[in-house]
Amino acid sequence: MNPSSEQVRRILGRVKRAEFVGRTAELERLLSHASHAAHAAPGRDAAGLLVLLSPLAGVSELLRQVYDQLFNAQGDVVPIYFSLPASETTAVSAAIEFLNAFLAQYIAFRRNEPAIAQASLTMNDLVQLTPVVDLDWIEELVNGYNKERFSDGERELVRFCLNAPRRVPATNPQPYVLFDAVKLASYSDEQVPFANEIIKALVGSPSFTLAGLRREIIRDVEQADVDFGKLEKVRLEPLAEADARKLITSVAQREGVAISDECRDLLAQQFEASPFLISAMMQAAREKHLALDSYFDCERLYVDELLGGRLNQYFTSLLENVAPEPVDRRALIKLLSESLSAGQRTASFASWTKRLNLEPAYVEDILRRLHVLEIVNWDGETVDTQRGSHAWRDFVRSRFRLDALREPRALVVADLMSAALKRAPQTIARHYRRIASLPLRDVLQKFNFQNVPSVLFDYAAFAQNYKGAPTEEIAARLEIERQTMKLPQVFHTAHGVAFSAELKQFDEESCVVAHAFDGPSYTNENEIIWLAAKIDSKLEAEADVVEMWCNRLENLAKRSGFLRVQLWLIANEGFSAAATEKTRQHGAYASSRAQFELLSAQVSDSADKSATAANNEFVFILPMGADNELLAAATAEQIARRLNFRPEAINQIKTAIVEACINASEHSLSPDQKIYQRFRVEDDKLVITISSRGVLPANVAVKEGASVGETERADAVDQRRGWGLKLIRTLMDEVEFERVDEGTSLRMTKYLRS
Amino acid sequence: MAESTKSNVRSHKVGTTAVVYASDYLNKLTGERIERECKKQLDSGARALIIDFSDTELVNSIGISILLGIIDIAEKSGALVVFSEVNNETVQLFEMLGLTRHVVLAKDEEEALTTLSASTKAMGH
Repeated sequence: MNPSSEQVRRILGRVKRAEFVGRTAELERLLSHASHAAHAAPGRDAAGLLVLLSPLAGVSELLRQVYDQLFNAQGDVVPIYFSLPASETTAVSAAIEFLNAFLAQYIAFRRNEPAIAQASLTMNDLVQLTPVVDLDWIEELVNGYNKERFSDGERELVRFCLNAPRRVPATNPQPYVLFDAVKLASYSDEQVPFANEIIKALVGSPSFTLAGLRREIIRDVEQADVDFGKLEKVRLEPLAEADARKLITSVAQREGVAISDECRDLLAQQFEASPFLISAMMQAAREKHLALDSYFDCERLYVDELLGGRLNQYFTSLLENVAPEPVDRRALIKLLSESLSAGQRTASFASWTKRLNLEPAYVEDILRRLHVLEIVNWDGETVDTQRGSHAWRDFVRSRFRLDALREPRALVVADLMSAALKRAPQTIARHYRRIASLPLRDVLQKFNFQNVPSVLFDYAAFAQNYKGAPTEEIAARLEIERQTMKLPQVFHTAHGVAFSAELKQFDEESCVVAHAFDGPSYTNENEIIWLAAKIDSKLEAEADVVEMWCNRLENLAKRSGFLRVQLWLIANEGFSAAATEKTRQHGAYASSRAQFELLSAQVSDSADKSATAANNEFVFILPMGADNELLAAATAEQIARRLNFRPEAINQIKTAIVEACINASEHSLSPDQKIYQRFRVEDDKLVITISSRGVLPANVAVKEGASVGETERADAVDQRRGWGLKLIRTLMDEVEFERVDEGTSLRMTKYLRS
Repeated sequence: MAESTKSNVRSHKVGTTAVVYASDYLNKLTGERIERECKKQLDSGARALIIDFSDTELVNSIGISILLGIIDIAEKSGALVVFSEVNNETVQLFEMLGLTRHVVLAKDEEEALTTLSASTKAMGH
């Protein structure tokens, strides 16, 4: 069935829904939030959602698409989209524009006439268009506005306008405000604390989405004394690489610009997947009737745009907003340009004040704005200038040469063009190298207590048992590998170069430092730092290279004060016998590329499996005590019978469950006195998780490996109480405590074949 | 042959041997009942104990630890202990936890009585 014309109407959206690339998940999330808000109980706290943007992300089209979908749905919420004007306006005029937009869009929705939403209409026009059912409250609102307009209090007028959505009668469809505050920084000099008024008005409105630069919105929400934790959040990063390529293709098609695949990939990299910069380039290409068939075409247009087109306008207005006075702006450009050229990352606040020769309070203002735009990182004392997009840095350097050094424009253009052309193949080469390289950091980030075959970290054992075997066979055999190891839970990763300048000589991705916990509780003893490095070698890595890397990583650990570390070296073709010996001497894990890829698949699989597992899961909650463990055992029996477990295995499962339930009841000091059971059926196994809330019992931390048969009759009664866990380990094929914040969660697996 | 169920544990005596019947689920509660009954029987002059598991389907580790306690008490009293009609799964658990090293297993009560009789003779009672 074709969607009706109403379903596909484009109202505020600048592109068709089908052409809207890369933000599907966020779009769904916003729509779901709006729908949820519509069905929330009246009188509850406002349901707010913050969209926190990275400066390169772009949000207006996302909000416009949400608007269109809500409008076309003609459901219980009335979408209201408002974007703060960029500049040359005041808080008062922006607030009046908001009121106007609110009325126009509310009336447009009620009449189901999209044209009204964008029409330029006076308040009186809008009253004329108001449906009879809304006439009373809208007339009252407009009258109130007319009164406020002629009063002296600017702040009162701003507040009146921004609070208009609250005046919709409770029996009416409620407005859902989509507020684009990306330009909020432009209003920071106002007499009226505009950010504060906006946030307070939104929080008082029925429901809303507020989008803005992440550093600014977080600070403003906190300053408005609104509980940041209560608001939902969506974080918008620049587009993923694949989406950026799709966006370029889509915009190029829409603008009628021919573009080669090579140029598409270059622009995606060069503009760091920024929808705004990409769209600006495509629009410029269309206006100039240019095809983008070569790097030359792209860079020529880029230089034109940077020195005189849309990019120039954008960055100039951004600078004007940061430093409104021309003389201050010139000083700022000089300072920024010199720190970029010197490659000196940081400087003190005092040196900035001195170099800018301005009052400290004004320097603070400038730095705060630059910080919000993520052009610098400023922590109150130190200023890190190595930030901002490549285009921004080119802009700053060229402005400095033109404005401060007064170099001839032709020379600056030529140099910029030359530099851009030289950089283009390097940019692309770096991109391709990154694609081809092992995603060390990505994989480490996925470490989350998974059990993986130990052989994946032992090149010698892998070479002996698996080398040369077909991939399918290796995968199948790894599935039944008995020797497994539990990965730690990684909570932070960074490139090694962030810890050691010595690593600058290598690719950023060559070395990764991963902070993790490898035990069931977050304690000092369980904290461990994995230091992983990729060794560039076409053959098996040799001992001298391994020794060098181990020393390098150990030095890094020592200098950084890491107490427990685990070294992990990865070499494409593995390690020679002597190199393997070296890894053992240093206690380092060693993997070849093949092992790394198998590991990568395993840690990714575990994430996928947990997402799909819900379909095959049974969850039961039982109160503790009263022999309720028998109910759990009976349930397990029924499930195990369905899977055709042998009677003996079924009894083993039942006994293990009984023991797990007793453990949960006895040791956890559970506040809710409940046992949570999850039975997950997989192809060849039954996975049972028994959890309880409460404290983490001491016996959970007992080291594994004690043989059950070693139990002596002379054991004290207390020790006998530890038998439960030993029995479970003997009766089930895999047993492990999952990491939980409190209480315990014991996962037990029984394979059909056992 | 006198039969007693006063502590909800069925038992009876054959000469100086007390036969105590375990319930369908041997846990802390039922284990302690058996323990009390065994103590009572030993205090009243029993020289051997047969614990019959013919009704027992499931045993947990606490129940097993109590059984070990009963074996201790019996040994101190110089009494022998035999477990009868233990199902295969429970035998496995007893083996895992080392119980079978300290107690004789018999197919049924009759075999248990025979075993005890032979042991008594061998010890010269």
